[in-house]
Amino acid sequence: MKKREETSKKPQEKRRRRKKDEQQLTPEQQAFLEREEKIEKINEKLNRPVLGITYLFAFLIIGLMGYILHFMIVEKDQVIANAANSRLDKYAANVNRGDIMTSDGKVVATNKGDNRYYPYDNLFAHAVGYSEYSKAGIELIGTYYLSDSNANVFEKFVNTLREEKNEGDTVVATLDYDLQKTAYDALGNADGAVVVMEPDTGKILAMVSKPDFNPNDIDAVWEEANREGSESSVLLNRASQGLYPPGSTFKVLTTLSYMRQNPIEYKRYSYDCSLQESIFNGVSVHCYNHKTHGEQDLSSALANSCNQAYADIGTQLDVEAWRDTLEEFLFNKSLPYTDASATSRFYLEGDTDKGYIPQTAFGQGDTLISPLHNAMIMATIANGGLMMKPYMIDSVENYKGARIKKFSPSSYATLMTAREVEILTSYLQKVTEEGTAADYFDSADYRVAGKTGTAEYANGAHDYSWFVGFSSVEHPEVVVSVLVEQSDVNGVKATAVARQVLDAYYQ
Amino acid sequence: MASIIMNVSKYVILILMALYTLSCFTIFQADSDGEKSRKLNKQIIYVFLIHFLSYLTLALDDAENIKNIVVFYGVQIFVAVLYMYIYHVIYPYSSRVIANNMSFLLLIGYTMLTRLDFSLAKKQFIIATASLVLVSIIPWIMDRYKNLRRYGIAYGIIGILALSLVFVIGVEQYGSRNWISLFGITIQPSEFVKILFVFFIASMLSKHRDFKQVCVITGFAGVHMAILVLEKDLGGALIFFVIFIFMIYVGTGKLRYLLAYITGGVMMVLLAFVLFKDRLFDHVMIRVNVWRDPWADISGDGYQITQSLFAIGSGGYFGAGLTKGSPDVIPVSESDFIFSAIAEEFGVLFAMALLLVCFSCFICFINIAMKVRNRFYKTMAFGFAICYMFQTFLSIGGVTKFIPSTGVTIPLVSYGGSSVLSSLVMFSIMQGISTIENKEAKKIEEERRNLEEAARKAQKA
Repeated sequence: MKKREETSKKPQEKRRRRKKDEQQLTPEQQAFLEREEKIEKINEKLNRPVLGITYLFAFLIIGLMGYILHFMIVEKDQVIANAANSRLDKYAANVNRGDIMTSDGKVVATNKGDNRYYPYDNLFAHAVGYSEYSKAGIELIGTYYLSDSNANVFEKFVNTLREEKNEGDTVVATLDYDLQKTAYDALGNADGAVVVMEPDTGKILAMVSKPDFNPNDIDAVWEEANREGSESSVLLNRASQGLYPPGSTFKVLTTLSYMRQNPIEYKRYSYDCSLQESIFNGVSVHCYNHKTHGEQDLSSALANSCNQAYADIGTQLDVEAWRDTLEEFLFNKSLPYTDASATSRFYLEGDTDKGYIPQTAFGQGDTLISPLHNAMIMATIANGGLMMKPYMIDSVENYKGARIKKFSPSSYATLMTAREVEILTSYLQKVTEEGTAADYFDSADYRVAGKTGTAEYANGAHDYSWFVGFSSVEHPEVVVSVLVEQSDVNGVKATAVARQVLDAYYQ
Repeated sequence: MASIIMNVSKYVILILMALYTLSCFTIFQADSDGEKSRKLNKQIIYVFLIHFLSYLTLALDDAENIKNIVVFYGVQIFVAVLYMYIYHVIYPYSSRVIANNMSFLLLIGYTMLTRLDFSLAKKQFIIATASLVLVSIIPWIMDRYKNLRRYGIAYGIIGILALSLVFVIGVEQYGSRNWISLFGITIQPSEFVKILFVFFIASMLSKHRDFKQVCVITGFAGVHMAILVLEKDLGGALIFFVIFIFMIYVGTGKLRYLLAYITGGVMMVLLAFVLFKDRLFDHVMIRVNVWRDPWADISGDGYQITQSLFAIGSGGYFGAGLTKGSPDVIPVSESDFIFSAIAEEFGVLFAMALLLVCFSCFICFINIAMKVRNRFYKTMAFGFAICYMFQTFLSIGGVTKFIPSTGVTIPLVSYGGSSVLSSLVMFSIMQGISTIENKEAKKIEEERRNLEEAARKAQKA
């Protein structure tokens, strides 16, 4: 751009010089100057398009530089935090990996000598994960921050001169120590998973998966899990990667689908559950323990978890529209979650054998869901229909505690209307007040909306026990999703676990 | 100790680079020849120091190979300094800014190549040095033979024949059949035809600028581009198209040609897309899809660009430091993706400064184009300026995911014999035009002084 100033400066100078000499010019000089001026004029005209295209290219280059800066400022962190970026480990060589802390200040991962040390052993096994081998949990998704150092520039410079490592940044998790401990203890020796999250932010407050392992012994655990022929699944985070039949918790979305397909008639829905068994689409259906519920409307069918009523509803649903509603709620889609998660499945299509419909409607069949996904569905209802993306890293601090970066909540999409939320909430409240969860919550001094579930597996030999719900009904602030494997054997009921977690939350 | 030196070097190199880049732009502002010459000498010092510190880092990192590196360093700096000083003595009217930038870009290329693959660096150095000797006669030829502008049609025909050679003795590389193999050496003819093409248009437009002539040029240009499209060298075809439309616009001064060609070009692409969707465009569609969402297939089609972004991002503003990153993970990091390799280890700030240095080369070229009065040389200088800058833009824009990747090299920096030779020819032609222009300016100035002298004498008498 300076060039233009230069070219425009020169002719001006020439002209000035010409004026000064004008009085005493010889005819030869006059002729020379006139000729030069003419050529100069032509040249200037020829240069006009050159100048235009030069500006165009300057604009292109400025655009490219702007883009590169935008990449560095806005996109870089997310891009390079990708687990497929093999460079992170190489860079980490100059940094002492940072600590991981809960939101209430408990250090859950740190360094002891040359090794990674987890002070609470098994308690945060899956949520915090491990930094060796392929990494997992926060150790994986936060590895970029943990192996970066935002210590004082001068201090870093001195360290570099001394050839000492810099101190990595601390990752502050959204996890709450007390809730994690309560959930962990409540699950006891049972296998299963607990997810506790804030519906309005998506913050994960607790995430437990059992069977678990001690990340301090990761070498032995890894070896055992990867031994040929090993069937150990301790490394699997059941909360986000485990897929289970949703059982009766699925009735929530069946109810919503029915409401959407029958916007007026759903209020008058009724089913007479007076026989122990009934036939729907050629398939025999009975309620849990072969109970009968009598006359059921939609809310009592949900509260009592009446399988026959839902089998009946299933036969009335348009399967394609039903599938659309479920896919809106992320069935058959990957969850908007940074760590590894399993994709929940809904199999039915328009041309699927009608015999599969009744059992699918009440949560058996081939439908599969992860505890995290079930928590997200409950959180959507609790948050007025807006689904938030779940996340587990709250902020990043340098090792001295100065904040470097704060992650803010982000929403996925609005999936329900206010009216749908209101009606479903009142139904779910009935579950905990007079329905299947009433025994667990009658003494609670907070009000809960939720849904229990029991899914049979291994040909009815064993039960999965589910509870999903939120509290309080008036101002939803916490969502719980609990799954217990083999609850018929270990006697642990998901709803009881949820009650303990919620009690801890309100303590 | 070694690591302290390497770390300090990293930041010193960045400061020197900033100073060099700044001088590339402030040099146009120099008031006197003395000041300009001082600034140019300072540039040589910056280049020398950047290069020295880089090789110091490389030598410290690879103690086993230290002897080879030191010798290689010595030879390089000898050739470069010799070139920067001697060239101006032989061609006193040549542009020293261009000579400095040319040496600088070559040296940065050698440095990065030494880090990536020592044998490639040696090969590149030998080819480039031999080429430098060869192309140094170009300004002399241009100054001597002023009738180069006469052979318009011949340039066009030779260009088309050379491009067609690919159909006879062509070999395929990176999914495009745009290389030929002669006596065991693979050459990319389009790199050289590009230069003939600029000559062709400049020469044709210096004769006539009427509609008929423009049609003839369009016909020839169309054949050039069609051959490139058939070779599946769409990046090449795009460069030819851009050179063509902008040269026609500057040569004729008529904006309507430019608009018509852009509209026509877009329509041709759409038509070709509809007609030959599966045969010609499958690898274009892959590239466009990869550009839109490389994360969908990180280990497959998106591998190269995501690795490139990982490299640029992981290096950060100040870079990982020479030898401290892993640019070798990016496929073809020595050639098309050398910008990402440089960004990772020297830092994004350095890489952006490098882009600015390339842009200052473009400004130098444009400056020459605006000063030279002869239409033939003016259009030609402009054509080379566009060719240089657009190619650089395609390369850097492609590896940063600003635009879809087209697989073109950064002139003089990227590895590649054809690329380096044709770039040097281009720079030498610009030196030739600069020589012609400066001589002309000096002649006019002398004429003016003579007339003044005569006038003064007449007055005294």
